Amino acid sequence: MSRLPTLGDQWVVIPLLVLLVCTAITIIRMRSLMAAVLLTGIYSFLSASWMLLLDAPDVAFTEAAVGAGLSTVLMLATLALTSRDAKPPVRRPWGPLFVVVVTGAALVYGTLDMPHYGDPDAPAQRYPSPSYVERTAAETEIRNVVTVVLASYRGYDTLGETTVIFTAGIGVLLLLRGRARRMGTREREKS
Amino acid sequence: METVIAVLSWFCLVTGSAFAIIGGIGLLRLPDFYTRMHGGGITDTLGAGLIMVGLSLQAGLSLITVKLLLILVFSLVASPTAGYALAKSARTHGLEPWKREDDR
Amino acid sequence: MFAVTMVAVLVTMGLALTRAALGPTLFDRILALNMFGTKTVLLIAVVGFLTGRPDFLDLALLYALMNFIGTITVLRFLRFGHFTDEPEPEEP
Repeated sequence: MSRLPTLGDQWVVIPLLVLLVCTAITIIRMRSLMAAVLLTGIYSFLSASWMLLLDAPDVAFTEAAVGAGLSTVLMLATLALTSRDAKPPVRRPWGPLFVVVVTGAALVYGTLDMPHYGDPDAPAQRYPSPSYVERTAAETEIRNVVTVVLASYRGYDTLGETTVIFTAGIGVLLLLRGRARRMGTREREKS
Repeated sequence: METVIAVLSWFCLVTGSAFAIIGGIGLLRLPDFYTRMHGGGITDTLGAGLIMVGLSLQAGLSLITVKLLLILVFSLVASPTAGYALAKSARTHGLEPWKREDDR
Repeated sequence: MFAVTMVAVLVTMGLALTRAALGPTLFDRILALNMFGTKTVLLIAVVGFLTGRPDFLDLALLYALMNFIGTITVLRFLRFGHFTDEPEPEEP
């Protein structure tokens, strides 16, 4: 079910991507960490809209729920344990900038070899996707092939992913709550 | 009948977009946090409401209209609640409202 | 017609983003985040109609819920310093 970008799509995709870049630049330049966390929430909303335009509603669901809802909240809880403003940089980070630029250039160079968006000859489309697409209509009543693959044909993978994310969430919550309460008690004992 | 619905939906969509932009401009230009909430409120109620009504007129009587109206109803309930919580939180945080003699 | 609405919603999102970047106080930024979420809901609805696939409205409903919960959680965190309902432990 691939859809090549039509002529009307670019009027939505290009402004969305421009907004993404503006948000990313603003996040980098922000000194207040709480503002950066909230802008990360905005970034997640934009990414989810963009994934929706790429015909991936399941990924967009996950991005919205995790990025805009959960991740913002957890980062704010972490901010309660550290300072609310970033310290000013001590020296110019030329070394990390060089590493980042080289890595980014290598990644972009790697994407030049990728198949075109929606190419029917891509390796991902030749095996085993056609069999999934053909069997979905016959075996299930659901119209969305991606959902059928996630929930039915590759159900064990989804079970593993859900377990991992659930464990990670519980671990983070236990860490944050336990530490916050101990820090609160210690401050009360001091005063 | 078709053209009446089409014209009505077009009118609702354009008016809704105009209100959304007006709310956005208000968010930028108004002087204080408490006044900027009015801008947000305009986009959430009039802007979203008119756009959703326009879209549901386009869709006719179907499941899509039910979903759109469900989103609208939830938005109309949640948005004033969030606005009230925001204003109350700002007030208990000590944020003072803007007065005319502040001259900002 | 949908294109006009889409452009308007995108412009409003840009304006909200500007307020989130500028806003001198934290509450301006929370307000901008809230408005951005509702605009995303509108954008999904309009783009769904524009591309002829209005099945994405479930996603828009989820975003509306997430936006509301996120805003309330941020405010609760600002006010209390934590997210839970339990009372603080007693003095020993």
